[in-house]
Amino acid sequence: MSLKSLTKDWEPMSYGFLDASAKCEIRRKTLKAIAVPGCQIPYASREVPMARGWGTGGLQISCTLINPRTTVKVIDQGADDSVNAASIRRFLSRVSGAPTTTDTLKADLIQSRHRIPEEKLREDQVLVLQVPNPEPLRPVQPNMSIARQMHADADYGRMWLQLYEQIVRSGRVMQGASYPSLVHGRFVMTPSPIPRWDVPKMHMAKHLTILSAGREKRLHAVPPYTRVEPLVFDDVPYQVEEHGQLTCTRSGAKGYFMNEIPQNDGTSTYEVSDSELGIKTIQKADGDTVELGDTWYQDGEMTQ
Amino acid sequence: MAYVATRGGERAIEQSQRLFREEMGTITAERVAEIRRALPYLIDRVMGEASLYDEDLAALALAQTGGELYEAVLLLRSWRTTQPRLAVAAPVTQEGLFTHRRISAAFKDIPGGQVLGPTLDYAHRILATEVLSDQAYTPDPVEPAAQPSPARQPSVAAWQAENDLLSAAPADPTAGNDIPDITREPLLFPSKRAHTLQSLARAETGGVLALGYAAQRGYGQAHPTVNELRLAEGEVMVQHPRGTTFSAGRVKISQAEVVNKKGTQLELGFAATLGWNEVKVIAAATLDLNSEGAAKGSATEEEFFLYHTEGVESSGFCIHFKLPHYVTFQSSLDAMRDAKTKKNARQAEPAE
Repeated sequence: MSLKSLTKDWEPMSYGFLDASAKCEIRRKTLKAIAVPGCQIPYASREVPMARGWGTGGLQISCTLINPRTTVKVIDQGADDSVNAASIRRFLSRVSGAPTTTDTLKADLIQSRHRIPEEKLREDQVLVLQVPNPEPLRPVQPNMSIARQMHADADYGRMWLQLYEQIVRSGRVMQGASYPSLVHGRFVMTPSPIPRWDVPKMHMAKHLTILSAGREKRLHAVPPYTRVEPLVFDDVPYQVEEHGQLTCTRSGAKGYFMNEIPQNDGTSTYEVSDSELGIKTIQKADGDTVELGDTWYQDGEMTQ
Repeated sequence: MAYVATRGGERAIEQSQRLFREEMGTITAERVAEIRRALPYLIDRVMGEASLYDEDLAALALAQTGGELYEAVLLLRSWRTTQPRLAVAAPVTQEGLFTHRRISAAFKDIPGGQVLGPTLDYAHRILATEVLSDQAYTPDPVEPAAQPSPARQPSVAAWQAENDLLSAAPADPTAGNDIPDITREPLLFPSKRAHTLQSLARAETGGVLALGYAAQRGYGQAHPTVNELRLAEGEVMVQHPRGTTFSAGRVKISQAEVVNKKGTQLELGFAATLGWNEVKVIAAATLDLNSEGAAKGSATEEEFFLYHTEGVESSGFCIHFKLPHYVTFQSSLDAMRDAKTKKNARQAEPAE
């Protein structure tokens, strides 16, 4: 028996790109994040072959979780065919040999930027959200070390004050996406820049969500069956985008989050943001056999 | 017409890369070698910011990116991610540096002497336009000094410490793998000394200059005097698993000490980086000098300048704004429109 027969051939990079020490660190930090829901856990965040701010945080989680039997779906703004989603999907499959899919129901691992799919996720699925800014306190406290102390003290007074001021000035909470939410009654987190439409999907969800910010070197998690409550006052209810009555002009899907498409005549049309849901709706209308999963929203209303 | 599930994204990105690379054409080993030979200071800058000392790889990264510096540094940093850590070299000390250039603005002369070394400081910056009309420019040969300057010199700060002008920082006995490593741990604040110096060492030159200059112009409290600036080579001494110690080669290093009078003592700012990059180490040492006691959120506060001079992160974030943001934008539009409707409804109500 020679030494060569016992060892693998030299390869320019490890399986899944990251080396074992990087994956080990990410696994430990992810477990910690799951154990302390919503708490931002610092991690080393290695450089990966994509620019910071382009999903490097999500990518490091995906590279760590992936194996040759993981079916991967990657979306950006709800779409599978968005250029950066295509680029990340190609990278993941190139470094892991994992199969890819666009079907939410068939995916084991979903890496997403700014959306949660409309079809309900299951206990065996993991959602990885790319996070540009992991710190919900940034608008009221740009200094990271002070913000960290504020989280430790559960000192969210300035957060509430900011929401109150918005109501006084504008008549409503003006937060668009990234709506600050209380996780498990303890930590305020950013759900990443998903629309307000998607935040209730995280509440008591069956799936695990891992949120990772590569540039800012922080990750946090929402374990399955965990409370995620948007910060709202008792007398001013949480308001999702008014998309419940909109219809997709291409697929006819109705009651989901839409992309507004400005028209030459000054009006707008709408297209369903979850591109795969649009495709399935069309296929179903064409009489194709297609499995359309349960959706969180039905007739434009959140079901939970 | 059915909804077409396009794979257009993948084709588009492939073709856009081809367009970019077409301009550079075929990359050959000769081209890489020529870049390495012709642009040593650019190579140094890229190696410093990448925190990866390999002239060939740096030249290759420049060739591959057409000189897009942020891309070149990112290429090297992500390559670095894949490399195992084989050994930790012995500390390189100031007095052990093989010194090419060493100047002090604090004293007319210093023990070991002022060594001007290679510099354009006193050159008249005139373009050699004759080269463009096919007359090669060949620099005049260097005439060696009658007496070579010593290769190794003590540090100026050491002399000041001996003379009770400066309280030298206590020596840090941490060794080998126990030294905190910014590439394997997150940066947290207050930052570990090793992390601060490592971050500055691989900071983006332009970013360090901008913030360092702001401090020098008056947004910092301390006025730097260049105690000592060095361009040198450091011997990388590593231990073989058999126990023998050997040199794995030399790396170019630049370092700066800047001082400021504070009461009866001098305070010291320090920075060093791989490769020769004088502007970067003077600016970085200025930031280091100013960081103690700096107000939260000021440009000279450690957290502020370390975060904002990290070139891979800052450039990546800046260009990420090119990515589609229509979901977040849609979400904001919804809030704006609703607020407007509410406002109009309120104005329509008759005054009570």
